[in-house]
Amino acid sequence: MTGAIIVQANPLLETVDLAVQCRTASGKLDLLQGIHLRLEAGRVLGIVGESGSGKSLTCHAILGLLHRTQMQRSGQVRLQGQELTNYSERQMRRVRGAQIGTILQNPMNAFMPLHTIGTQFVQTLRTHDGTLSRRQALRIAVEGLDNMGLPHPQRLLRQYPFQLSGGMLQRIMIALSMCLKPKLLIADEPTTALDLVSQLQVLRALDRLRRECGTAILLVSHDLGVIAQMADDVAVMRHGRIVEQGSVHQLFDDPQHEYTRLLLDSRMTAYHPLEQEQEQEQEQEQEQGGRRDA
Amino acid sequence: MLDVSQVSHSYAAGGRLWRKPAIPVLQDISFTLEPGMCLGLLGVSGTGKSTLGKIILGLQRPTAGRVSFAGQDWYARDRRARHHMRREVQAVFQDCYSAVNPLMSAGQIIGEPLRNYERLSALEQKRRVAELLEQVGLQASDADKRPAAFSGGQLQRINIARAIALRPKLIVLDEAISSLDMVNQTQILTLLSQLRADYGMSYLFITHHIQAALTISDRMLVMDKGQIVCTADSAAALMSSPHPAVQQLIAARLPEHPSQRLDWSSET
Ligand SMILES: Nc1ncnc2c1ncn2[C@@H]1O[C@H](COP(=O)(O)OP(=O)(O)OP(=O)(O)O)[C@@H](O)[C@H]1O
Ligand SMILES: Nc1ncnc2c1ncn2[C@@H]1O[C@H](COP(=O)(O)OP(=O)(O)OP(=O)(O)O)[C@@H](O)[C@H]1O
Ligand SMILES: [Mg+2]
Ligand SMILES: [Mg+2]
Repeated sequence: MTGAIIVQANPLLETVDLAVQCRTASGKLDLLQGIHLRLEAGRVLGIVGESGSGKSLTCHAILGLLHRTQMQRSGQVRLQGQELTNYSERQMRRVRGAQIGTILQNPMNAFMPLHTIGTQFVQTLRTHDGTLSRRQALRIAVEGLDNMGLPHPQRLLRQYPFQLSGGMLQRIMIALSMCLKPKLLIADEPTTALDLVSQLQVLRALDRLRRECGTAILLVSHDLGVIAQMADDVAVMRHGRIVEQGSVHQLFDDPQHEYTRLLLDSRMTAYHPLEQEQEQEQEQEQEQGGRRDA
Repeated sequence: MLDVSQVSHSYAAGGRLWRKPAIPVLQDISFTLEPGMCLGLLGVSGTGKSTLGKIILGLQRPTAGRVSFAGQDWYARDRRARHHMRREVQAVFQDCYSAVNPLMSAGQIIGEPLRNYERLSALEQKRRVAELLEQVGLQASDADKRPAAFSGGQLQRINIARAIALRPKLIVLDEAISSLDMVNQTQILTLLSQLRADYGMSYLFITHHIQAALTISDRMLVMDKGQIVCTADSAAALMSSPHPAVQQLIAARLPEHPSQRLDWSSET
């Protein structure tokens, strides 16, 4: 009886006082401190922060992918109430494949260089469902690639990672991590290398996964547009700590931390030459129109 | 200064198991780049922007066409002559961390081109490195730090310092600011504009980000499926291009505020 209550009370992912230290020649260095995160099924938690603030490191710490001799992790990571910090490397590998999908920041590292894209899909799909035939797996792959707006998915399956552009690899990696329909998806800057047309396609597919499969998404992005579109809640990181956390509306309407305000401002001012010109043109037109009326 | 003339390229599709005709990636690309000019190169993912960048850097021989730099054909010269010319054309790429050797100090990274091309005394080399660090907004004392000690924005400054160390005539920037946060993107754009004004360098600024391209470029080329479909000298000219690929790029927007979200909830 109590079991049921505990399951309900537990978020899908929870980190408690997660911290990472780095061992250096000159002693220990705190890279992450006091990371408390909570993420429910079907929701999106955004993480923003400047380059080097520890966003990727947070993802790696959750996934147990830290450098074994250099880095030391402390604190708790719970997935559906299971304490992941106690898991062996082997158990973690199974969790990473079956329950947590990962989209890492550098797409090239996510692929085996000597295998075609098709082989990588077949291997990934079949390790988690042994009953799938190669043919069935390839069909799922084509569908996944198609959803990412990638042209010629059939041809892509026969190509090797080095034959593809940065943005294509990024989208293939996303398709690969989504095809297993994981409970949790950790997406570290999933759309940085992409133009807006492709970005929208990718974000749409992520949103569909969330709605249809109840996947929770931890979404790291430096792009506040991506956060505005996708996130329910947001954590702002700086120098290895969370400096502000709340609902996405709260963050945009009432930013507490100076750095958050700086982030919001830099986006409003510097990046809209297009709009400025449009506005100027409209103003000119209005002026001219006014003159004509008079 | 840079003259790209009727360049086409297809990568050989020679897998071990099958033989297929080569896939054309670039078709009949021609443009010129004058000294001190910044040319923005836009286009959706996979249209061949990086391939064109590599061809201009002398790293990938095109299957057809000519690339000449300062009146000399890039690919007609022997290796030795290319090595000599190569100092004039430098590059900065998107992934600032993998562009550097993690075991080298910032000073060694920035000093590498100087060591390859200029024989300087240890003291002189140190002075030049310190000068370069300051030019990109870092401190001379940062020379001893390893890449891991820098944030992405700082490391990209180090990559820029390395690129300008030999005072090149042209820098190819392939998505050089894409992985940085907005604050750093704006700062690096300002830095690039400043350096260009100081040294009269030219840039080929490859990006998928229209606004960034508009901020820094004098002229923009839009590529679609391996072809240049629009050449524009201003935002207005870009916006009035009738080509669907350009219109699609302009129209695609993310919301500025969560209340302006695109509604996807009814889609299946
Ligand atoms: N092996 C290491 N040794 C020392 N410091 C490290 C190491 N790995 C990472 N760091 C430091 O940890 C900090 C956090 O890095 P992280 O990659 O998490 O940043 P990030 O927020 O993901 O940045 P970006 O937006 O550039 O991806 C950085 O300042 C980096 O210098
Ligand atoms: N080494 C290679 N062998 C075969 N094909 C390649 C190779 N490199 C790139 N291609 C193909 O060339 C096309 C253009 O790639 P390129 O990297 O130039 O695109 P891009 O415009 O830079 O895209 P992105 O914005 O995603 O970086 C792609 O279809 C890609 O698959
Ligand atoms: Mg990162
Ligand atoms: Mg590219």
